[in-house]
Amino acid sequence: MSLFSLTGLTVDVPGRRLLDGLTLDVPKGQLIALIGHNGSGKSTLLKTLARQIAPSGGAIRFDGRPIGAWAARDHARRLAFMPQTTPPADGMTVAELVALGRYPWHGALGRFGPDDARAVDRALAECGVAALAERLVDTLSGGERQRAWLAMMVAQGAETLLLDEPISALDISHAVEVMSLVRDMCHSQRRSALVVLHDVNMAARYADHVIALRRGQVVMQGPPSDLMQPRMLEQIYGLPMQVMLRPDGTPVAVPA
Amino acid sequence: MTRTLTLLPALGAAVLLWLLAAHALAGWHWPALPFRPEAMTLDQIRLAFGLMPRGAIALVAGAMLGLSGAILQVVLRNPVADPTTLGIQSGAQLALVLGTVIAPGLMEYGRWPVAVTGAAAASLLVMAIGARRAFAPVTMVIAGMLVGMTASAIATAVTLSQGEYLLSLVIWNGGSLVQQDWSGVRALAFVFAAGALAAGLLLRPLRVLSLGAEGARGLGLNVAAVRLLAVTVALVLAAAVSAEVGLVAFVGLAGPAAARAMGASGSGRLMVLSAVAGALLLSLSDGLVLTLAGLGAESFPTGALTGLIGGPLLIALLPRLRGATPPGEERAEASLRRARRPYRLLGAISAAILLAGVVLLVIGRVPGGWAVLDRHSFATFLPMRLPRLIGATAAGAALGMAGAILQRLTANPLASPEVLGVSGGAALGYALAVFFVAVPGTGTLAVGTMTGGIAALAVVAAFAQRRQMPPERILLAGIAVSALASAVLAAIMSVGDTRSFLVLAWLSGSAAMVTPAGAAGLCAVVAAVWAMALGTRRWLGILPLGDGVAGGLGLRTGGARLALVVVAGVAVGGATILVGPLSFVGLMAPHMARRMGLVLPMDHVTGAALIGGGLMLAADFGARMAGFPYELPLGLFASLIGAPWLIGLMMRRAR
Repeated sequence: MSLFSLTGLTVDVPGRRLLDGLTLDVPKGQLIALIGHNGSGKSTLLKTLARQIAPSGGAIRFDGRPIGAWAARDHARRLAFMPQTTPPADGMTVAELVALGRYPWHGALGRFGPDDARAVDRALAECGVAALAERLVDTLSGGERQRAWLAMMVAQGAETLLLDEPISALDISHAVEVMSLVRDMCHSQRRSALVVLHDVNMAARYADHVIALRRGQVVMQGPPSDLMQPRMLEQIYGLPMQVMLRPDGTPVAVPA
Repeated sequence: MTRTLTLLPALGAAVLLWLLAAHALAGWHWPALPFRPEAMTLDQIRLAFGLMPRGAIALVAGAMLGLSGAILQVVLRNPVADPTTLGIQSGAQLALVLGTVIAPGLMEYGRWPVAVTGAAAASLLVMAIGARRAFAPVTMVIAGMLVGMTASAIATAVTLSQGEYLLSLVIWNGGSLVQQDWSGVRALAFVFAAGALAAGLLLRPLRVLSLGAEGARGLGLNVAAVRLLAVTVALVLAAAVSAEVGLVAFVGLAGPAAARAMGASGSGRLMVLSAVAGALLLSLSDGLVLTLAGLGAESFPTGALTGLIGGPLLIALLPRLRGATPPGEERAEASLRRARRPYRLLGAISAAILLAGVVLLVIGRVPGGWAVLDRHSFATFLPMRLPRLIGATAAGAALGMAGAILQRLTANPLASPEVLGVSGGAALGYALAVFFVAVPGTGTLAVGTMTGGIAALAVVAAFAQRRQMPPERILLAGIAVSALASAVLAAIMSVGDTRSFLVLAWLSGSAAMVTPAGAAGLCAVVAAVWAMALGTRRWLGILPLGDGVAGGLGLRTGGARLALVVVAGVAVGGATILVGPLSFVGLMAPHMARRMGLVLPMDHVTGAALIGGGLMLAADFGARMAGFPYELPLGLFASLIGAPWLIGLMMRRAR
């Protein structure tokens, strides 16, 4: 069964159509990169899948059920979403931020029990921020902060992670660090991640599957090897691109 | 630019209303030019030297305020800047009130120097604070609101202490456009011409400045000088209007907002359109006042009406407002240190409040000095003092909690009952209860204030809910609601009977009339609000992270917000009964709690409650003692303590 299945998904804002009749199946258990030019609708698609934006038309099924049919907390137990700019968490420590991820499990009044504490500890360890647990989130470096937010999503216990440009503000070493973490989160823990990425090379390097949008429509979806073709890249970005092979055989795309 | 054409109906309506008033006065027998009073009938004189200059002054004053607001918005890159929100008008108002009451001799030299001095002092303070934070819009507005609220609190106190001046001051505060000759028009027209010329000369530097201070400096612009000049121009324009016609709130905010909604994007176009929109807005308001006056409602201040028109108009225009704060300009607060042992801190604060309460119970002021009460007088005074001490503390606690909840609810460090219009709504509810219920009891008044507070907050929250609303727009909606409430209040007050005085006295708050039952009731409200905050503590932790995260965690933000809005409204309504809407304990207490390092939701709410209670306790003591044997209003005194503290804090924390 596919993770998401979209039929004729359309999203409009006054005066503009952001997504135009998308029909597609998103596979499960993989790291999926969502790429496209600026304004192609990739962030809109992600937010729609995360129920942050209501579609204007069409249907989305998540895990076999219509997306609107999930109760809010049930939905949050299955799907975690990270916005493009993570909000300032002023005065909060990493451990407290990660503990917020348990909200879908204990709710407004329930006790923060030993299960919750264990989940938080596991999440801190998995994302490598256990040593930072008592630090204030706002004093962390960009990469550390991103990992702290990822840990919150892990603590949420969701098997589906939606990340909106998680590495756009990071320097290259932090970007690699965060993407490796996301890949491990998928492969070793059987999670699915849908990640909006700007950088086509990052997408090719880390993703198992790529969905490319252009002007609100799907241009391609398939393995990264399908993506890394000059003609395909030109079609996506509207710019002649050259694909070169590194000594180890992995492709790199540069503007021709 | 076809949207500019929407101005035409407004123009038509304004002209029509004025013509109707003129026709009612003198028919079509208009006096011939040049005006010679000896050759006119009485009605013609009233037309030529009353109504005509009045129509002209509405246009000129409106244009000046619109231009002033536009200049401020351009130079500060702040879509919510205007002479009202930056405290300029309140500064002028305070100077004029003080001048009238304390040194009437000064006024012989004209009201202008006094008004400009007051406006300059207020804006100097606001700019000094703003300069330390790179003129961050939110900082500027909070500083302006603080200065403005303090100034009008003092002005209200002085007004209250001088019953004989009351009526004229109240009318002036409302902004009356009544004219006796053309001198006011001439004077304002001169200032307007000079201001417009100066604005024109500053246009190009201002356009460069719109790149941001760093970019402008890179292009060789003397940023400080341009800012100083532009603010001075705006200030003189606003102060001149204040001196001539009184407090006409909101035109400086609504003018540029309307201009932006019509698609004015460049600085120059914005200024011109703002002046036009401001002129039309004030003319239209005055036309309506004239029509009402023709129907028998006398001396209704036009300034009160601009608030009535301006508030809803602004709320309607807000979603179309373009040009918010550029990202990266705003970092509201430095990252906060955290208290290592919050419980110990909270315990210490409670102990201090308890101790202070006991001390305040047993000491008193006697003619000639201070005394510790002996047993007998203690027994006599206790039934009078205990309820008011408890009542004041509980009111402060309720306001503090409401502020903390609102700041978390909106993820906005500036949100507070006073800023978001909750207090204004509560005041309106009180006033309506006073006027429309024959003999309102405390219960009726409590229901009135709570309903008013909830309604005001619901308007703002519903509005903020509609789309992803950046904090400054929520703030703007709150200001609009506040202005609407105070405009209605001003209109009610201008009726001028005993009930008006009742409302005016209450507006600044007094704890003298608290009954034991009232104090107990307020304590119950505090306990209930605290319990509700405890029940919703997880929401209070998640909501500050914004809708994206909160929704992702499975929180139904709509329902959570609504519940918290009701809680805050109940708290504010209960407190407002006692202290009036003027105190801004609800803004101060949560801030102080955070600065002390109380960061987690319940620590924050509890700390804000304790600090709010302590502030009110101190304010009550001060209100009783400062003017001994007379008593100053409680809420007023609270803002007198709180505002300088917060201003000092903002000045010190330079970044």
